[in-house]
Order: sequence, then C-alpha cells, then structure tokens
Amino acid sequence: MATTALPGRGYLEDDTPTVWSWVKAWLLTVDHKRIAILYLLSINFFFLLGGLAATVVRIELVTPQGDLLSSDLYNRAFTLHGIIMVFFFLIPVIPAVLGNFLVPLMIGARDLAFPRLNLLSWYLYMAGGIFALSAAVFGGVDTGWTFYTPFSSTYANSNVILTIAGAFIMGFSSIATGLNFIVTIHTMRAPGMTWFRLPLFIWASYATSLIIVLATPVVGITLLLLAIERLWGVGIFDPALGGDPVLFQHLFWFYSHPAVYIMILPGFGVISELIATFSRRRIFGYEFIAFSSMAIALLGFLVWGHHMFVSSQSVYAGLVFSFITMLVAIPSAIKVFNWTATLYKGSISYRTPMLYALGFIGLFVIGGLTGIFLGVVAIDIHVTDTYFVVAHFHYVMVGGTIMAYLGGLHFWWPKMTGRMYNEVWGGISALVIFVGFNMTFFPQFVLGYLGMPRRYHVYPQEFQVLHVLSSSGATVLAIGFIVPIIYLMFSLWKGKPAGNNPWEATGLEWQVSSPPPTHNFTRIPVVTSEAYAFPPEAAERDAASWRPGSPL
Amino acid sequence: MATTTQTTSAHHGDHGHAAHGPELQHHFETPAQQKEAATLGMWAFLVTEVMLFGGIFLAYAVYRWAFPDVWAEAAHHLNTPLGTVNTVVLLVSSLTVALAVNAAEHGRRTRLLQLLGVTLVLGVAFLGIKAFEYSEKFAHCAGYKTPIAWATGGELLGEQECLVPGRAFAFPAEHGAATEEHASTNKTPHQLFYLLYFIATGLHAVHMLIGLTIVSILTFLAWRGFFTPTYFTPVEIGGLYWHLIDVVWVFLFPLFYLVH
Amino acid sequence: MATSKHDTPGDAHGHQEPAHYDGHAHGHISVATYYRVFGALMLLMFLTVGAWWLEGVVAIPRLLGVIVALTIASTKTLLIVLFFMHIKVSSRMSQLYAAASLVGLLMLFIVIMGDYFARGWPPQLGPLP
Repeated sequence: MATTALPGRGYLEDDTPTVWSWVKAWLLTVDHKRIAILYLLSINFFFLLGGLAATVVRIELVTPQGDLLSSDLYNRAFTLHGIIMVFFFLIPVIPAVLGNFLVPLMIGARDLAFPRLNLLSWYLYMAGGIFALSAAVFGGVDTGWTFYTPFSSTYANSNVILTIAGAFIMGFSSIATGLNFIVTIHTMRAPGMTWFRLPLFIWASYATSLIIVLATPVVGITLLLLAIERLWGVGIFDPALGGDPVLFQHLFWFYSHPAVYIMILPGFGVISELIATFSRRRIFGYEFIAFSSMAIALLGFLVWGHHMFVSSQSVYAGLVFSFITMLVAIPSAIKVFNWTATLYKGSISYRTPMLYALGFIGLFVIGGLTGIFLGVVAIDIHVTDTYFVVAHFHYVMVGGTIMAYLGGLHFWWPKMTGRMYNEVWGGISALVIFVGFNMTFFPQFVLGYLGMPRRYHVYPQEFQVLHVLSSSGATVLAIGFIVPIIYLMFSLWKGKPAGNNPWEATGLEWQVSSPPPTHNFTRIPVVTSEAYAFPPEAAERDAASWRPGSPL
Repeated sequence: MATTTQTTSAHHGDHGHAAHGPELQHHFETPAQQKEAATLGMWAFLVTEVMLFGGIFLAYAVYRWAFPDVWAEAAHHLNTPLGTVNTVVLLVSSLTVALAVNAAEHGRRTRLLQLLGVTLVLGVAFLGIKAFEYSEKFAHCAGYKTPIAWATGGELLGEQECLVPGRAFAFPAEHGAATEEHASTNKTPHQLFYLLYFIATGLHAVHMLIGLTIVSILTFLAWRGFFTPTYFTPVEIGGLYWHLIDVVWVFLFPLFYLVH
Repeated sequence: MATSKHDTPGDAHGHQEPAHYDGHAHGHISVATYYRVFGALMLLMFLTVGAWWLEGVVAIPRLLGVIVALTIASTKTLLIVLFFMHIKVSSRMSQLYAAASLVGLLMLFIVIMGDYFARGWPPQLGPLP
C-alpha cells in the first residue's frame, strides 16, 4: 500500500498550560482516538465493577448454604453483574474502544463522519452508567438483567426504573456509535479502499452497526413501555387488562438476541486480524469471512425465540426458531474453519495477541457447539434455566468477546500508546486467563446438566465440589484480569517505544506513527492492494531473524 | 501554543481549505462527501426511529388482533374530526418543508424563511389541537364536558366517562352485553387501546417538539443567511426528519381514529 | 380520479438509477411535482376517511376495512418517501437504508405475529386453522 506517513503530532500530546485546560482538552475532544481512550477507561471501570459483583456471587456459592447473602441480596448481586456486564461492558466494549480507535485509521479517514456525535455517545454511555450505578447504590435491582414482566412491572420492589433508564440511555449511545460507523465506512474510505480490500475488522464492525441500528430502538421502546407500566400503574404487558407478558419477551429478545452478535461479531473481526498477522498469511477465504459476518447479522434477527422455548410460545414458532438457530452455526463455523485454514502452513508466532486468538477459537468452539445443544428444543427444555445455559453464554461472551477484546487490546496497544508491554507477562496472563476461565465455567456445564438451576444461592450438598472448583477458577480468572492492568499501566512509563509497525502487520493503521497523529493521515493514502497482503518471503524473513530468546 | 497553531494550519494547508467554503469539516475531503455522509446518517437514524415506533405498532397489532370489538368500541370515543384536521395540518406542513428545501436549493432566502415560518405555525397548530384532544379526555375524567368548562367550572358531563388509563379509567357502558360483564371492574382491554393511543401519540408529540426545535434553528440560521445554494444540507436533513414525523402520523391516524 | 392524480409522479418513478453515488446533485424534483404529490396525499386522506365513513353505513368485512386503511397509508408513505424525502433521486445507499427500515419492520412483524397466529391469541380463541 502506497502511503505517506508524515510524522505529525501524536494524538496523546498536549501543550495545555493548566490542568483545567488539559481536562477540557480531553473531555471536549472530538478526536476518535481520544474518545476511544475515554471509553477504554470507563468501560474497564465498569468491567471491574461487574467483576466485583461476580466475585460476591462466586463467594456465596462456595458453600451450599446461603451464609453470606440472603436470597434477595443474591438476586441483586447477580442482577448487578448481568446488567453491568451486558449493557455497560460486552455490548460497547469492542466497538467503542477498538472500533472507535481503528475504524477511521483502517479505512484511511481522518475521523469518524460525525465526531461530535461520537463524543455525545460517550457522554450518553456515562449518563446511562450513572443511572445504573445509582440504582445499585439505592438498593439494587432483583429482576435479573432481562427485566421479564410481570415480575419487573408488578412484583419487583427494587429500582427497576432507574436501571432501565440506564439501559435506555446506553442504547442511544450505542446507536450513535453504530450510526457513525455505518456512515464512515460507506462514505469515508480512502481512494482505492474498495469493499473487498477492507480489513475484516471493518466488515465485522459494519455488520455489528447494522444490528445496533435495527435492533436497539426496539429494546428502547420496550423498556420505555415497561417504565410507563411501572410509573402509571397500568401497562400494555399487564395480563389483568388483557395484555400479554410474553410480548415483552418477544420485544426484549428481538434486541437482546442480536445483541449477542453485537458482542461477538466485532470479536470475530479482531480475531481475523490477529490470525492473519501472526501467521503471516493472507486470510483464507476473505470473502467468506466477510459475508459470514453479514449472514450472522441477518440470521441473528430471526432466532430470538430460542430464549422462549418454555414461555408459552407456539410449538411451530419454536420449531422454526430452532431450525434457524442451527443455520447460524454455518456462518460461525465458516469463520472457525477459515481461521484454522489460515493457520495451516502459516509462519505462526505465539505473541500475546495470538495466544488470546488461539484461546478464543477453542473457547468459542465449545461455546458455539453447546449453543447448538441449546438450539434443540428437547435438550433446551431439559436444561432451561440451569447452569448449562450460564456456562454456554459465558463461553461465548467471556471466552469469545473478552478474549477477543484482550487480544485486540494487546495487539493495538503499541499503536494506541506507542509503547510495548512486557511480552513475558503478557503470555503468562493469557495462559492464566485461559486456564482460569475453563476452571470456572467448564464445571458449570456439568452442574447444569445434573440439574443445578441458575439464580439460586443455596444448592444441594452434592454440587459443592463443582461449585468450589468453579469459584476457585474464578479466583484464577480474576488474577488473570488484574495482571494485564498492572503491566499495561507499567508499559506506559517503562515500555520500550513500539515504532510504527511492531508486528509487521499490514493495514493502514500500521503505516502512521505510534501513537497516531491527531489528524491520522496528513495526506489521505491511496490503497493499491488487498488487506493482508503479506509478502511471500515474510515467513522466511521471520524464520531468519529468529534468535534464541526472541519472542516465539 | 505556537506549535499548535503552526501544526494545525499546516494540516489545513495540506488539504486545501482555501478551495471550499468554511462549512466543510476538516475530516471530509469534498463537500459532496460531507453531504452524502449527512444524508446517509440521517437515513440510518430514521431507520432507528422507524424501529422505535415499530415496537408500538407491533403491540398495537397484537392487541387489535386479540380484541377487534373492543378496538371498534373504544375508537368511537376519539375525536375523529379533530384527528382529520390534524392530518391535513401535517400534510400541508410536509409540503411547506419540501418547498422550503427547494427554496434553499435555489438560494431564495425570503421564500425559505416564509416556508419555514409557515411550517412552524402548522407544527404548533398540530400540537395545540393535540393538546386540546388530550385535555378533553382529562376534563371528562374530572367530570366536565369540555376543557373550557373544566377550567371555568362550567357544564358537567352527564355520564361517567374517563378514558385516561389508570385507576379512574371508566369506559361508558352503552354498548350492552359486551361491556356488561366488565361492569364491576375497569380492567378491560379498552384501557389497552387508550394506553397505546396516549403512548403512541405522546411519543409522536415528543418528536413533533424535537422537529419544531429543529425547524426553529433552521429558521434562525436561514435568517442569518447561513445557507447557500451549495450548502443547505441542514435544511435537507432537517426536512427528512420532519417528513418522518408526518409518515408516522399517516399510520397513527387510520389506526387509532378510523377503526370500525 | 385517484389514479390520474398520482399517476404523473408515479410515471416518473421509472427505473432511472443515479449513475454515481458520490452525493452530487442527482437530479431534482420540481415544485410542480411537489404540488401534485400533495394533491394526491390530500385525496388519499379523504379517501381513507371516506372509506371509514362508508364502513359505518354499509356492512363491510372488518379485515377489508383494515386492509384499505393500511393500503392507503402505505401509498401515502410511499409518496412522501419517494418525492418529499427525495429517495427517488437519492444515492443508492440512502435508498438501501430507506428499504432497510421496511426489512426490519417485516422481521419484527412477521415473526412475532406468526407466533401469535400459531399460538392462538388470546388463548380462548385458539390457533388459526
């Protein structure tokens, strides 16, 4: 790719005379890279909070008795965990942090199409977060993150309205991000950056944005209707008036199932980048990976009923939903097969991001395959609301989204900060997370299949071994999440300068300086080749430059 | 500080700010690109608006399918003539907005200002009529015949009627057997109709308020001579928003006022 | 009468795609067309109110009434979107997004209403034959 990367002023640099003007320069910035950093800090803060709630849950479950929390408090703890993790971490994390930073850089644009809207989206995110947190401070919510009616409307005596206000506002934040991506990808690609030269992360972000734009408003109106029902005392989901509570579930899952793809699709995009870069190969079946993202986005809209197999939905609807759920396995499998095919005969280097990517593939395969179990109506009825479901979606969300996020963060950290982190610690923590994750969640498959229901704080004696295993795994996992915080922070001071392209990756973002200049490209680049155009001799060069002690 | 200015101006010089008007933002290459981005962005936003109202329309469809008779009874208590007048008002405002965009495109500032002004008046008229309809319902709940009677302590309503959903909801039992079984309770699907009516038209009214704000800003900008035949994108995409509100009403009107 | 009113704009709606996407002026809709579209909109509005009035006088199947009302509303929407909102002369992307909202609504309605039809709603009615 022929580009000119002139050394501009890095986007992190400031020459603000006072602290106040420095704060203003950050909080009123319209630079997509700075907004990505704001998101990085705030989203990770929410991740730690959600992790704290999970810790409480796991500690309670060490013993079969409810000795730490009352059942009511336990409900509030797992609800807090669910709401924070789903709405304030998993949904925004990859689009808002990595997407915000990378989309303009990857397509050769100076910024997103609507920079001020982008800033607004961060403020909306924070506002939504404050609402949700204040609900927690005022006593929490006990409905579970799904807010099913009539429980949430009639029977819950907790801060439902505050919480859904938070989720509602957060929805607008993600709409703003999605809208920005769509318009940016359509109208601001650099000359020569055709659709089939786009990095696969862009395809994935585009598919994600489509889902955000089509699905989020529906949950918005649904939560609004729920709020009205609670405030007004009469509501359209109220069976006493002839209303149907299951309608709430339909409308809620119309968003919340595609939301699962909002979480995982950008992860797919990240993994495609990592696999190609660290195998030094053109990605196998580029078009298939690109179109499978679009196929998942489309099919993802037609499968939500598999959350409702036991909620009085019609048998026929159940069958259709079950069938389409199977169909989603096809594009997902295409991706996994193409990644493995890319690895084949590649010059693989086990750098930290690659460890996360390989871990992702393994965990996602388990998560995806158990998803097929759950898509079969008969098995789903057997394991509905058991730990089997809990284990399944944690494999997809933690094993998928968080692994991809951490992999992506480690991959683009040198670009974002201009510094390299400690590769040894990186590798160790990736392995610790992988081990801890499996220790935490694999026992839950067994637990669930044996009949341990979710959302209970007491359980029969015979489940204790597995629960203790799970809780100790959670401890390992927590360590795995804390270590990167430490060495990544440390790298800001002591890390060695990364240079423009520490991984010798392709892609426009690697052709600008690290950290990139404020305007990204002084001259808009002209793209003349496809993405992942690694020279054929790249692998040989890797092999020749390898010395004992250099990273694998 | 000096370096900042220097770098910035160097950057700007690089992509030639001299060649185009001041409205081109730094991250766009050409005015055409900026305009396309704005238009596409507005359309993507309108998709979200459609889906937002889509949820309400879906709830409407589910309950109308379930309770067709109740719907027919309940709808007869809405003020169809006023609804019709409001439809005309909105359709005319849509025309004035379309003409305003045309005027902006041809750089006819006076005509643009006139048309935007008319739009504002029509929008306010719509909301006024809507407010009157609402207050009529509330006045009935309070036991008065009209909102004016309610304010002045005038004529009382003969029969008990309260169409505002809530504890006081009372649908007048004049249609015989169908309603008699619910006589002891106000928990009937009639409330669902009125709930949907208030939520849908209320949300529509909120959008009207936003639309009016946008048109006011456009009027102000037009008055300041901000728009030129080469740059009138705000008028265009503001117009798109206004038309969408109109489209929503085009469906709300027959679905709530014209039910048999 | 109704047809002749909105035939003119309808004719213009042939398949003349804009040759380029880059947001230049893609052609214009004349003021005369705006007035014609407005005329058609007013006419359709009186048609729909008229149909409603007729339903009160003559016994017409309820479903037919709903279909007529929705058809008229959709036609009005189409006219507004094509002409007032310039979709007819917009870039292909804007046209695609205008269509996307329809696709989104269809997914929402077909699947959820399909469930209600198959399930039987409200329960005492039983499923559709």
